[in-house]
Amino acid sequence: MEWFFYGLAFLVAVAITASAVYALNWASKKGQLRDFEKGAASIFDEKEPIGEPTDFFPGKDPKNPKRKR
Amino acid sequence: MNRAPLIFLGVFFALAFSWTGIVLTNQIAYGSLEPVFDESEGKAFPESIPGVAAQGKLVYQDLGCMYCHTQQVRRPGFGGDIDRNWGERQSVARDYIRERRVLLGTMRTGPDLRNVGARFAGEGGREWHIRHLYDPEITSPGSIMPKYKFLFETRKIVGEPSPRAVQRLLPADAQPPEGYEIVLTDRGHALIEYLLSLKDVYTYPEEASRVYVEPQPEAKNGDNAANTNSEAQQ
Amino acid sequence: MASAPSLAASISPSTPPNTVARAELSEIDASTKVPAIFFLGSSLLWLLAGTLFALISSFKLHNPAFLGDAEWLTFGRVRTAHLNAVVYGWSVNASFAVALWLMARLARSIVRHSNMLMLAGVLWNVGVTIGITGILAGDSTSIEWLEMPTYATPILFVAYALVGGWAVITFRFGRSQHIYVSQWYIFAALFWFPWLYSIAQIMIIFAPARGTVQALVNWWFAHNVLGLWFTPIGLAAVYYFLPKVLGKPIHSYYLSVLGFWSLAIFYNWAGVHHLVGGPVPAWVITAGIAASFMMVIPVVVTAINHHLTLVGSFSALKYSPTLRFIVFGAVNYTLASLLGSLMADRNISEVVHFTHAIVGHSHHGLYAFFTMVMFGSIYYIMPRILHREWPSATLISVHFWTTAVGAVIMVVVLSVVGTKQGLAMNNAAIPFLSMEESDVVRATLDGLRVRSYSGILITIGHLAFAINFVWMLLRPRADHNTAPTLFRNPEPDLEVSSR
Repeated sequence: MEWFFYGLAFLVAVAITASAVYALNWASKKGQLRDFEKGAASIFDEKEPIGEPTDFFPGKDPKNPKRKR
Repeated sequence: MNRAPLIFLGVFFALAFSWTGIVLTNQIAYGSLEPVFDESEGKAFPESIPGVAAQGKLVYQDLGCMYCHTQQVRRPGFGGDIDRNWGERQSVARDYIRERRVLLGTMRTGPDLRNVGARFAGEGGREWHIRHLYDPEITSPGSIMPKYKFLFETRKIVGEPSPRAVQRLLPADAQPPEGYEIVLTDRGHALIEYLLSLKDVYTYPEEASRVYVEPQPEAKNGDNAANTNSEAQQ
Repeated sequence: MASAPSLAASISPSTPPNTVARAELSEIDASTKVPAIFFLGSSLLWLLAGTLFALISSFKLHNPAFLGDAEWLTFGRVRTAHLNAVVYGWSVNASFAVALWLMARLARSIVRHSNMLMLAGVLWNVGVTIGITGILAGDSTSIEWLEMPTYATPILFVAYALVGGWAVITFRFGRSQHIYVSQWYIFAALFWFPWLYSIAQIMIIFAPARGTVQALVNWWFAHNVLGLWFTPIGLAAVYYFLPKVLGKPIHSYYLSVLGFWSLAIFYNWAGVHHLVGGPVPAWVITAGIAASFMMVIPVVVTAINHHLTLVGSFSALKYSPTLRFIVFGAVNYTLASLLGSLMADRNISEVVHFTHAIVGHSHHGLYAFFTMVMFGSIYYIMPRILHREWPSATLISVHFWTTAVGAVIMVVVLSVVGTKQGLAMNNAAIPFLSMEESDVVRATLDGLRVRSYSGILITIGHLAFAINFVWMLLRPRADHNTAPTLFRNPEPDLEVSSR
């Protein structure tokens, strides 16, 4: 009975390893592991571009000191 | 670029890993531990918990006792559990197999209660618990445990005084007015029965053969006096 | 950018692209308004309720006579009500709001099916209310982090399933090409939580496992609620707001991905360190301690990444409320996690286990890290969905300083007092309780009093936050704020894009 569980565990382990290898291979073929740093910029765009802070205490934007709440 | 399937797979296997390791493996390994039948005593250990005590455990749960009291004794040499006389031996997995809810606890604002039934036993123990629950300061001056006066009720004596009347155990300033008596409620009674039932006394075969690496010679010396002292205070 | 949705498209083609883009962003933000405000409003109410329960239980610890005769306010119940109110009431509601706003923004998709979310929100809060009432009434299960009675949990489960379903729909129909790392964290968290919750419910309550297997399941669950739900949501917010507020991409995207996977692999094994010395198999504990030490990798990686992003922009902390809270939270994530790794060590655990140091540590993680990050996120989100500024900068400052100072005092005091308590408890020569000589109980009392004072400080902060929040909801919309995104100069000539 014990051997049945060991066998089953072995098969599961092989299946998991195989799927991991397959997935990583698939990902690398599709270029998903290349050019990581591009992702960092994906939260910026032309409306909220890089180089522009977006949050200030109410009425305290240093670029626009005159603006009132 | 769509990494979603890869991320999902990773996320799935990450948790599956610990679920298999911590939960499934242990469930298979010792999730069907059986009580041990002792021929010489003619019964199985751990013993099942008596009915009133089982009711009392529900009171213990609903009042949240386990947030200040653990129910696990660590091995000799690891913490002061044994030296403080909180148990004769460390708690083992088999001690808990009859419990529908295992209340190991993680906080010791108060002392461990796994063997409180051995420290306070019999009629004396029952009376101690009554005083202590009514107002912990009676038995343990300086205690920060809450009073559990709501487990008692003051009522008019109708006919014979109740056998559950407890005012004779309480100090002068807690005495009810003439013609009244203070009785322990059913919940209070059950809770005390539960506390009295808490003790792990049986030494399992696998426990008897255990050899502790650290015998702790210094810690044992001269502490017994302090132990008894502190126990009397609790 | 793919094609813009309705409002943006309706603007005449001669309008500068900047305006079109802003209108689109504004539309996405606006679509999250109703559900986000519902979740944030309920989370705020739970925060106040949880703070009240916390104060009561904290005072009871050094003054047991305080409200001592009310059964439903006895320490064991009110402390439990506090935990459930701040975890399932405040923290989960706040994470739902922040997660849904982030997901809509990151997927560049307006919120559809918001009825589904509203239903989920109502059910969740009904469930939590029933659960906490049940705890106070005496139906607590006495399983740490799962105290809510069995008649409340199915409601919570249905509510959660609705949120999860909604998240999948939003993700499926999102238009963004890239899955940003914040989305990784949010999706992982949304997927992990129901798994943890259902296994724990089944194996402890509905069909209890035998003996101490229950304790293993309990700590596998409870620690993972922190590690695999609150931590990922908190980090998702940090990974979005830190670069966004600074206007600077995260220092290394590669490190953020490394941090994600190492967290996913190691954190979920760490929980059993709560059972060091307990009646469970020693190898599981050892594995848990090893995993706790391995947590140094994601934590240090994340800390380096955040620090290098912030370097050179420290002055921004002066101007941005969001950044202050987020940076405070991120620093405490690092500290709490590193201390947590140390506390898992057997020799240290021998002392601090079963003491107030653990209570201090959970407040370090859940308050000084997670709650502060949520505060920061809310300061960013609210003006953008309401098109209104926060009414009072002073109240924001009061909120920040009281909670930050209060949290630091609480964590330090509880750690010190807990260590003293643990050392005294392990030395059997010191009595547990004695009026004549120094004892274990008295070693903690002064510290517990200071903890109550720090709690008062934090309460002041929460009240300031609540006043500002309600004031903001009630005040009329200001005329001059016509630009779709706030906190910015409406004239584009001052803005310099580095692209």
